[in-house]
Amino acid sequence: MNADTAAARVENATKVYGSGDTTVTALDDVTISFERGKFTAIMGPSGSGKSTLLHCVAGLDDLTGGSVFIGSVRLGDLKDKELTLLRREKVGFIFQAFNLIPTLDAAENITLPVNIAGRDADPAWFDTVVDTVGLRDRLTHRPSELSGGQQQRVAAARALVSRPEIVFADEPSGNLDSKSSAELLGFMRRAVDEFGQTIVMVTHDAHAAAFADRVVFLADGRQSGELADPTADQILEYLKSLGG
Amino acid sequence: MLKLALKGVLAHKVRLAMTAVAIVLGVAFVSGTYVFTDSITRSFEQLFRDANAGVDLVVQGVSDFGTTVPRIDEGILANVKAVPGVEVAAPSVSGSAQIVAPAPCEKGPGADPAKPCPIGGNGPPTLGFSYVPEGVGLTTFNLTEGDWPAAADDVLVNAHTAEAGHLAVGDVVDVITPAGVEPFHISGIASFGEDDSLMGATLAVFGFDTAQRIFDSEGQISSISVVLDPLLDPTVVQAQISSFLPDGVEVITGADQTENNLDEFASGIGFINTILLVIAGVAVFVGAFLIQNTFRIIVAQRTRELAMLRAIGATARQTTTMVILEALFVGVVASAIGIGVGVLIAFGLKSAFGAFGFGLPATALVIAPRTIIVGFVVGIVVTLGSTLVPARKAAQVPPIAALRDVDTPPRSLGRRIAVGVGVTGLGLLMLLVGLFVTFDNALSVVGLGALVTFVGVSLVAPLIARGFARWVGGPMARTGVAGRLAQENAMRRPRRTASTASALMIGVALVSVIAVFSASAKAGVADVFREQFSTDFQVRLTGFSDPTAAGLPPALGAALRTLPEVSVVVTDRFGDFRFAGDTEAGFLLAVDGPYDQVVHIDMVAGSPADLGPGDALVGRADSERLGIRVGDTVTIQFASLVTADLRVVGIYEDTAIGLPLVIDYTTYEQHIAFRLDRFVYVKTAAGVDLEQARVAITAVTDAYPSAAVTDTEELIGDLESQIDGLLNLLVVLLAFAIIIALLGIVNTLALSISERKREIGLLRAVGMQRRQVRRMVRWEAVLIALFGGVLGLAVGLALGIALVVAVGEGLRLTIPGGQLFTYLIAAGLGGVLAAAIPARRGAKLDILDAIAYE
Repeated sequence: MNADTAAARVENATKVYGSGDTTVTALDDVTISFERGKFTAIMGPSGSGKSTLLHCVAGLDDLTGGSVFIGSVRLGDLKDKELTLLRREKVGFIFQAFNLIPTLDAAENITLPVNIAGRDADPAWFDTVVDTVGLRDRLTHRPSELSGGQQQRVAAARALVSRPEIVFADEPSGNLDSKSSAELLGFMRRAVDEFGQTIVMVTHDAHAAAFADRVVFLADGRQSGELADPTADQILEYLKSLGG
Repeated sequence: MLKLALKGVLAHKVRLAMTAVAIVLGVAFVSGTYVFTDSITRSFEQLFRDANAGVDLVVQGVSDFGTTVPRIDEGILANVKAVPGVEVAAPSVSGSAQIVAPAPCEKGPGADPAKPCPIGGNGPPTLGFSYVPEGVGLTTFNLTEGDWPAAADDVLVNAHTAEAGHLAVGDVVDVITPAGVEPFHISGIASFGEDDSLMGATLAVFGFDTAQRIFDSEGQISSISVVLDPLLDPTVVQAQISSFLPDGVEVITGADQTENNLDEFASGIGFINTILLVIAGVAVFVGAFLIQNTFRIIVAQRTRELAMLRAIGATARQTTTMVILEALFVGVVASAIGIGVGVLIAFGLKSAFGAFGFGLPATALVIAPRTIIVGFVVGIVVTLGSTLVPARKAAQVPPIAALRDVDTPPRSLGRRIAVGVGVTGLGLLMLLVGLFVTFDNALSVVGLGALVTFVGVSLVAPLIARGFARWVGGPMARTGVAGRLAQENAMRRPRRTASTASALMIGVALVSVIAVFSASAKAGVADVFREQFSTDFQVRLTGFSDPTAAGLPPALGAALRTLPEVSVVVTDRFGDFRFAGDTEAGFLLAVDGPYDQVVHIDMVAGSPADLGPGDALVGRADSERLGIRVGDTVTIQFASLVTADLRVVGIYEDTAIGLPLVIDYTTYEQHIAFRLDRFVYVKTAAGVDLEQARVAITAVTDAYPSAAVTDTEELIGDLESQIDGLLNLLVVLLAFAIIIALLGIVNTLALSISERKREIGLLRAVGMQRRQVRRMVRWEAVLIALFGGVLGLAVGLALGIALVVAVGEGLRLTIPGGQLFTYLIAAGLGGVLAAAIPARRGAKLDILDAIAYE
């Protein structure tokens, strides 16, 4: 894969926690590229390093060794301030939980990243995003007045409203029932197909991963394989083969 | 960010309200003090202007320091009248005159109901004036009933006095004056100024000749008010009059007189202002701890929210700004409320002063722009200052915290030890320097040192908090799981426990200092009196009074001298003076009679028995400083700036008398106009039973309702209760700071309960009863409060001991163990009280809600 077409990539990424006897190697020399305009899922059992990988690519955590690039920018060279600005301009996030500021209503939460940057949201784009996630009639509600699925769709809308180069999602459907989960993932899929958005998602749910263009598997901090355009069954099959 | 900050404030209404209360109380105290003192000053300004209105010139004795204005020779009056252009020259003579209301009358508890009661005194002055017809209109007296005093036994009283004693025109009342107690006939009632409130002073006006007699001023007057032909230049006449005035007499304009009065008043009120502001400062300082703690907890609780903001692109500066904006908002709103409450406090102070007998003019409260500005500056600066650390914490929240459910591990306490110990050391050093080295503003250095010490101790406190909770919480933990968990909770966040306790520490430390100081003062007084007094009885004014402004008529001492039951009667008096060449004035003691027979005096040289007119005894310290020996001449200066050369006949150890100079009454009365005695010392004649002597003495003093007869032990008891009363007043004022600190405990508990919602839900789910939850919260509060109490006692003891050692003279270091222990218990109970609401809230938590995920 050509490095120029990658929205983000890691090269020889290593991450070690702790010191002495208690060291844990979460990432062990991982090299992966995430293609522009594609929906990539990262899967793996607990402790495989999938969340750590996401945190490091997103610039939330530092690597012990190796490098991370968003576009052509090497994150290791950036100061905290520059990193913050990079996240603000080029990255969107959807977390598993605690995505929203409880004191702001849905609309304010969606425009938060743009407002933090001191700008106003592009009204046309805001409308497009809001209609896509189907939150038009919920904009003035506080998070506590929204269902879990609605809250996550607000989070997704927020991640998209600043037109980031790449969106990172950490188990976005982890707390949702299957219907809400499908709605959210369907929306993420459309964001990739219709707006050409790049999305990287960590999940342990094969049904969620099946929405992706490509699934990367991690085990013990290393890439253990990948599937292109898989179905949920193919993914489950693959996971079984790993287990066996 | 502004929007987010505002929403944050609205979302945390309750906890920010608690913070706001701390600021409101502090600001209210500050602005209340200003409103109060400004209002008094304004109304007295008016009074003084009215009093001197219409008076062009005033001729009076020079009074450079002290409170007693010297008399001038009456002969000057004729000379002044003879000056061309002088239209009116009204003489006035003033002194002390206390009206006695006939029994039955209202009086304090425990007083003999059959006895008449003196009106006023015990703080506010009892003033007497003379009346001359040409002076009407030149004073602030407005006749409201009856007539001016015409006959020799007439007296006019002010409305306040008439009201207090239920007196009417035509009544006959006894009046205590330097000449003794005499009956007078009330000829009229007048108001003084607009509404007749002069800080509770009682005023009596007598005919001119009577006034001269009863104030022991034959041939003398206090001042002359001069009205000039309006066409003349007052400065020319002033110069003319000035040219023939003897030394010690001056002529000034009415306007200058007003300014002098105002200056004198301002320095008096400035003292009250300073005390109130210091206490307000303590309240604000304690409030700062509370604010800091609240914001710290709010930031900790919002770690994930802040981290999320950081993750989606908020810079560190933006999160800091958000917290600061929240603080700013709270500070502004709370300061505004505080200023409003301050006006109410000023009302309260005014009525409190009224209740204590210091009636104040009923003028409108003055809210100066300065009051509002200072209120806002104090409120906002304190809030922002206390938020700096939490705001920096907000900036340090890493974005990754949004994704991980972990506490950021607390930074090591190592650096804190160094800083805390350093700061504490600096504070103690400042304290010691301020206490033991003499220089200007030493007192402010002491205050600042105490402040720095408090901050230092609060920095070190988290280190001790864990150990304290382990040891003191040990017995608690044995009472059951609730106690055990409470102990763990207090240990889990030593910083929070410590900083909550620190607020309480300050209040407890200050009341402990007061306790140590007052116990030492009482012990010192008792020591001195037991050692020095070799009399059987003393007679003195009841209550608390200024010995240069109030006292017993000399007639009382004279009457006692005639009793066959007594052998020795000695009286003494205070006066203002300074050694020639000094700038600081002090008090001298004048004695009449064989002083060495009633008081033990440790003499270094010479003999007190030799003291006669023109002689002086000098304290050792000043004799060494001035290089004076027995037989030398010492030159002293009186308030009139007149000097006198006195022959030194003895030098004594200072502790024996406590004042630097002793003279006799003849010398005193030559130079000082004050005519009232402080003490009458009485020694029973040989062979007379003490009880019998007391009956005889009391028979004489019964005519003087303001006099009290005591033996030495009773006198010590009286003085001890006076010291207690004074210091209890301070403790009551400091209660403000302690209330704020308790609010801090309420706040911390409430916050940590909402933080531990899940945990409490889990405990309830596995079977903990509501009662046990309540108990757990209560124990934690008690632990925090006791920790604050113990820290406070430790710091307070250290400060108190240092203070007592530094003051030294007249004090004997005494640690009031029982009282301090009571404070500690009170602190613990305060904790229980503070826990009431949070405990109920904790117990009421709905289990399902508490353990529900998100």
